[in-house]
Amino acid sequence: MIRFILKGIVRDKGRSLLPVIVVSLGVMFTVFLSCWLKGIMNDSFALSANFGMGHLKVMTKAYARESDQMPNDLAFLGTDTLLTSLRTGYPEMDWVSRIRFGGLIDFPDSTGETKVQGPVVGWGIDLFSQSSHEKDRFNLESSLKAGKIHSKPGEALITYDFAHKFGINPGNKFTLFSTTVDGSMSFKNFIVAGTVRFGSSALDRGAVIADLGDLQSALGMENSAGEILGFFKNGNYDNNAATLVCQSFNLKFVNSKDEYAPVMLRLRDQGGLADYMDYVDTIGGFMLFVFVMAMSVVLWNAGLLGGLRRYGEFGLRLAMGEEKKHIYWSLIYEGLLIGTVGSVIGTFAGLCISAYLQKVGFDISGMLKNSTFMMHSVVRASITPQAFYIGFVPGVFSVVVGNALSGIGIYHRKTAQLFKEFEN
Amino acid sequence: MLSLKLAFRNLIGAGLRTWLNVSVLSVAFVVMVFYNGMLDGWNRQAHDDTINWEVGGGQLWHPLYDPFDLLGLQEAHGVIENQAKKLIGQKQITPVLVTQGSIFPHGRMQNILLKGVQPEQEIIGLPTSNLVSHAGQEIPAMIGKRMALFTNLKKGDNVLVRWRDKNGTFDAREFNIVEIFNSNVPTVDNGQIYLPLNTLQEMTGMIDEATLFVAATNYTGGNFDEWQFKSPKYLLKEIDEIIKSKKAGSAVIYILLLSIALLAIFDTQVLSIFRRQREIGTYIAMGMTRSQVVRIFTVEGAAHSLLALGLAAIYGTPLLYLLQKNGIPISQTFDSLGVSIASKIIPVYAFAMIVLSILLVVVSATIVSYFPARKIARMKPTDALKGKIQ
Amino acid sequence: MTMKISIAIVLVFLLMAKAFGQDGTEILEKIDKNMSSTNRIFESSMTIHGKRNSRTITSRSWSEGVKKSFSEYLSPASEKGTKMLKLANQLWIYSPSSDRIIQISGHLLRQSVMGSDLSYEDMMDDRNLTEIYSAEITGKEVVEGCKTLILLLKAKVENVAYQSQKMWIDEERMIPLRQELYSKSGQLLKRMELSDVEKIQGRWFPKTILFKDLLKEGNGTEFKMTNIKFDQQIPETIFTKAALKQ
Repeated sequence: MIRFILKGIVRDKGRSLLPVIVVSLGVMFTVFLSCWLKGIMNDSFALSANFGMGHLKVMTKAYARESDQMPNDLAFLGTDTLLTSLRTGYPEMDWVSRIRFGGLIDFPDSTGETKVQGPVVGWGIDLFSQSSHEKDRFNLESSLKAGKIHSKPGEALITYDFAHKFGINPGNKFTLFSTTVDGSMSFKNFIVAGTVRFGSSALDRGAVIADLGDLQSALGMENSAGEILGFFKNGNYDNNAATLVCQSFNLKFVNSKDEYAPVMLRLRDQGGLADYMDYVDTIGGFMLFVFVMAMSVVLWNAGLLGGLRRYGEFGLRLAMGEEKKHIYWSLIYEGLLIGTVGSVIGTFAGLCISAYLQKVGFDISGMLKNSTFMMHSVVRASITPQAFYIGFVPGVFSVVVGNALSGIGIYHRKTAQLFKEFEN
Repeated sequence: MLSLKLAFRNLIGAGLRTWLNVSVLSVAFVVMVFYNGMLDGWNRQAHDDTINWEVGGGQLWHPLYDPFDLLGLQEAHGVIENQAKKLIGQKQITPVLVTQGSIFPHGRMQNILLKGVQPEQEIIGLPTSNLVSHAGQEIPAMIGKRMALFTNLKKGDNVLVRWRDKNGTFDAREFNIVEIFNSNVPTVDNGQIYLPLNTLQEMTGMIDEATLFVAATNYTGGNFDEWQFKSPKYLLKEIDEIIKSKKAGSAVIYILLLSIALLAIFDTQVLSIFRRQREIGTYIAMGMTRSQVVRIFTVEGAAHSLLALGLAAIYGTPLLYLLQKNGIPISQTFDSLGVSIASKIIPVYAFAMIVLSILLVVVSATIVSYFPARKIARMKPTDALKGKIQ
Repeated sequence: MTMKISIAIVLVFLLMAKAFGQDGTEILEKIDKNMSSTNRIFESSMTIHGKRNSRTITSRSWSEGVKKSFSEYLSPASEKGTKMLKLANQLWIYSPSSDRIIQISGHLLRQSVMGSDLSYEDMMDDRNLTEIYSAEITGKEVVEGCKTLILLLKAKVENVAYQSQKMWIDEERMIPLRQELYSKSGQLLKRMELSDVEKIQGRWFPKTILFKDLLKEGNGTEFKMTNIKFDQQIPETIFTKAALKQ
């Protein structure tokens, strides 16, 4: 039966090609929309994740309690083993160490005495490892206003507004005055490699980005780090996956009384993001629902029209003695087949587009001319498990329903009348 | 003109099929407008919330005030003179005094901002009136829920705050948390404690002084005395840029929505040309040029969109209006602090957006109708007349 | 940590005050008189009881009056060679690792030094006690087995960090054994316990001081002085920026 219908569909292009194309397109749009929506929703936390929170963040329990104070005296001592165990235990994530610090940067005059100085916040990040994506997370390339990105240790980027205010140029030397892990004074000389502007005035007025290794030596934190951040390799936060990793990791230390035992937090657990994430999820879900409904109506309509135009054919088939019930069911089977084939093709196509836009992203900087806000210049799609099935709702269900509805006519009309429609 | 008339006649003649298509198209159109309205509404909300909670109709800053220079706050305050007093009396502006203080959660010092606000002010959305109804020994204070979460403070709790007065002398007192407010704007919440303006002025010895004024939305005064006016546009620059970048991202969604509509037209058009070959043959046999026939079919396809727009206007207008009036409820939750959050989005339908959507639908419907119709030009009239499938 | 040293210095003079009379102000006057006329050299070790570990830093200090002081850190290795110069209300720090002299000024002086319980400003206040405080004797108490007079100091000027102080003065040896610093509203902020009293060059001297910021967790900071020498000849060149780099 199915083979027979399949042959019919394949041989009658009017019955097959167009509906499959329409269903595929519809499904493709739906799949892509779901990924895109997720992508732009994720984008609203991308800044927080990349700069401070990661998708997962491991700190000591003591550090976590006041992490926004950058309490490096409560940092991990000896991160190598922890980092290795994270990398082997959860290889689906990219794990990186970071040091956040506060301090004073001091630029000397020609005699070596203080010319200008100002308070800064800063990051020590892995800039020189082959596999490190930290430069991209901080969007350093496109945020660069003058000079260049670090090329060797001992160089630092400072924010443009700060540099501009004090007349500092790439190539100038400065001393970072801060506090070591055990509370002593720390002095470390750097050369300004370049200036960056992130578009957030809170950061731009005074921030320093330097290599993790430099900060480790400056702050007496050799083989130490304040924070270990985990990022999903595709760049998108997946709360379910994050929850699993988080639970399994924290289980190991749940009974530890040690204040310096590690604790893992999800992006969701930090900075009061939970409410906001739920809010965004609800909006996203609602938008997807409306879209799927609208697409269902279109595809349902396509199915309905496809059935309506075949009333003549049904008349002929009835005249030849085929039972009404049989015709009706064959119509529904057809719908099921067309819907399934279309949904598979559409889902595949939609996933391909989404995967491309997840990897490469969609550069919207052209639309943001004269904007100082550089962080969101590339928008990416985000493939979620949902994307694999969401298209089948409008794809299969609507087509079948459309066919089923149009098929009711078979029962309502007389054979002669249907046959007559064939004449037209 | 003939083709348009003919197109409509054909469409009406086709009855059910036309109306099915038109309904679908109209749904797609209404969804498009709604979607954009919702996205705009969502973006606007961030903008409006910031105005409501923080920016007001602009702010007047002391010349030394810099919101990011916490250390400089020590000097950034000035006396509220006559002009300012008059404006305060007229409820045109409300003074805010900002100084630094410290609290000691977990036995470690954390710097915070102390903000003195008028309990009776109505210019910003902070529930400052809660700061009056307090009879205890302690200083009545109000914090946001993020701050509450971070410091583990609940309504009714006391917290020891240390600060320095204008001479640098240390002082420390217990503050009583009389209210925890819930705001969508983190910048009015994180690391800040609100208390009555008079109290903070006394505490710091900065009698009758302020760091800044928040102006009412109808304020038109600009700078006065030493106070420098910062327009809402200036203060909202960052938010506006985030919104701009969000909009660029949602352009893709707009295109996807349009595609729903076009898919419906495309489907109909291909089918109708396939089915109506005899009709096409007849037109050509009667002496119409092929391009004339193509035009008839193109216009017919495009006419779908016009009918759809009419239909959308009939049911869409009240529907969208209703959604705007009531808002779209997003969540009704009670968070850990027992503060109720009723979030809803009020869609914003910009006139330009609606016009643009109409134009886009009509133009693209025409284009999408044209492509299948082009096939006509390649038909042999004799075969078409016979109804032979080509 | 250096400000702790200078508070200690203040105390050195406090203990030298010969508080015979019952008038608190007289006691303060005598302290001030001694302060402005003396210079000293001493070595010290400071133990900071951190949350995680305790560490001890040793240094050698030279000072003249309350306006000038110079310190050089001797150990641990990470601190060795770091020098600090204070001239009136200016402060410079030299670090050998970066070979830079950095000035600490303005608002920074109000910042806590290296997360310690005291700010740079604490060590910068070089006014005489009588300039700042009026004093009265409010009672007697036995502290650590010694009879003490309780002295209440109240600020008579505006720009002072601590509005009031309480001192427990050993009646016999005329040195403070305990000192408490209060906020304007009377909140106790910091406490110092002085012990290990010895007679040096004819003066009674508490060689150990325990500092505690009462708003913070932790066990405070212990400051021990050794090799104290009063009335020495200190070359003027030591109180110059050039000396920092030497």
